[in-house]
Amino acid sequence: MNVTRDFAPPFSLIAPFFLMGTLFYFLSIILLFFLQSDATLSQMQTIGWVHLFLLGFVMMIIFGAMAQLVPVVIEVGHAAVDFFYIIWPLLTLGTLMMVTGFFMAPALLPYGGMLVLLSMVIFAADLFATLRKGERRSIVVSSIKASNIFLLLGILSGFIMALSFGGVVDTNPETWLKTHVFAVFGGYVLLTIMGLSMILLPMFGLAHGFSDIPMLWAYRLMLSGVSMVAVGSLLLLDLLFYAGVLGVIGSIGSYAYQIYLIERKRARKENDIWVKSLGVAFVSLAVALLLSVVYLFSGIERFMMSGGWFLMMGFVGFLITSHLYKIIPFLVWFERYAPLVGKQSVPMLHEMIPLREATMQLYATTLGLFGVGAALLLHSNTLLYAGVSILCVGGAFLLYSVYTMMQYGKEVL
Amino acid sequence: MSHITKEEVFKAISTVIDPEVGFNLVEMGLIYDAVIDEENNVLVTMTLSTRACPLHQMMIQWVEEAVMKHTDAASCKAEVVWEPEWSFDMADEHVKEKLNQFANR
Repeated sequence: MNVTRDFAPPFSLIAPFFLMGTLFYFLSIILLFFLQSDATLSQMQTIGWVHLFLLGFVMMIIFGAMAQLVPVVIEVGHAAVDFFYIIWPLLTLGTLMMVTGFFMAPALLPYGGMLVLLSMVIFAADLFATLRKGERRSIVVSSIKASNIFLLLGILSGFIMALSFGGVVDTNPETWLKTHVFAVFGGYVLLTIMGLSMILLPMFGLAHGFSDIPMLWAYRLMLSGVSMVAVGSLLLLDLLFYAGVLGVIGSIGSYAYQIYLIERKRARKENDIWVKSLGVAFVSLAVALLLSVVYLFSGIERFMMSGGWFLMMGFVGFLITSHLYKIIPFLVWFERYAPLVGKQSVPMLHEMIPLREATMQLYATTLGLFGVGAALLLHSNTLLYAGVSILCVGGAFLLYSVYTMMQYGKEVL
Repeated sequence: MSHITKEEVFKAISTVIDPEVGFNLVEMGLIYDAVIDEENNVLVTMTLSTRACPLHQMMIQWVEEAVMKHTDAASCKAEVVWEPEWSFDMADEHVKEKLNQFANR
């Protein structure tokens, strides 16, 4: 079955996800000025920042990307594409209320949590209904299915925690914390990224003829790892929990090997902004894994904080920003120039990227990333705020680049 | 009406450029064959560089339009096949050379 133009959601539906996601990215950098270099995971400000970054930036962009990519992967149109018009406002409002709740008003947490929950249930409802329509089976489709089950598990456990923080229900949030963290970050974010990588990296890099066995193992290990973590932590079975953690680490390792196999078969050797950003992402992943191993052996929290930083801002952050330079030009081109092919001259996708600003974004954000990572290791506030200042410059360039790409060719309409 | 040739069909399709890589579909090796019957009805057999290509349907449309515009074809139908699977080896030498360069952009 072909993917017709009718299956593609209109640009007006997807654009707010990318714009809001980038705004939240910038906002999350600004909010780092309110944290200390010796921040811990138990502090409400740290948790607030993590939610701002993950919900406002990561989830927002993933949802927008999925709106575009799901019809391509499953080869059917969305079951209810109009749902996406309400997902981003709900997610935006819910994120803002939750972050405010974490920083200054815990009573807002259940309300913000409810809005976030609603946005994600709507997203998952469309996705499952769309999956039922499709007949195509692949490791990518399986990953998307499993990741959305984990999303539901993650947000339900998170919502219970939000009710607890807000004083609505009497339960120990610590009981749900591990399930929440692993289900959302490992089960949803990482598994989704892994699945989409299998589509996007070979497509943009023109890689063919590689084995996808490592991805199959990454999928199985993540599935079993997160499940074991959830059962182990809820039933207080430490052995099961640690076996689950090992499974998740093994999954990430297997995924990294899959990326290596794809990279080896990449026919397109050009080092554009996408490749360079991906390079920073995977170096960050290696640094994060290294710091995590040091933490597991030493128990010193600063290694975990720095490792977590490199995993989130470095790996996930750069993986997403790299694809903004591919996905946004494509969406804009598809909307404004595809109908003009054969009738008049149309631009190439790379011509739609503001190269100078994008390069500045890459350099500044990379410098800031390593500056903050070092500051968290050394507990140096001076280094932290210097790093955050540079990150701000990078974030501003990203905002400018995204806006410019979205405006490209507006006059042709 | 003169009978059109396969070369004319390929030449017409070479006006269709992949906006991501900047090469036309013929030099990318994506056009496998073109069969032209007595009445100048054209059947193009083609593939795409990836099964998940978001431009799938648009590519088919562009190929059909290009053939109709640049030749005397009575009709044109483009069919996408996945066997044999496209690989980089099918591209023209100059495409391979260009894509293999470790250029910075």
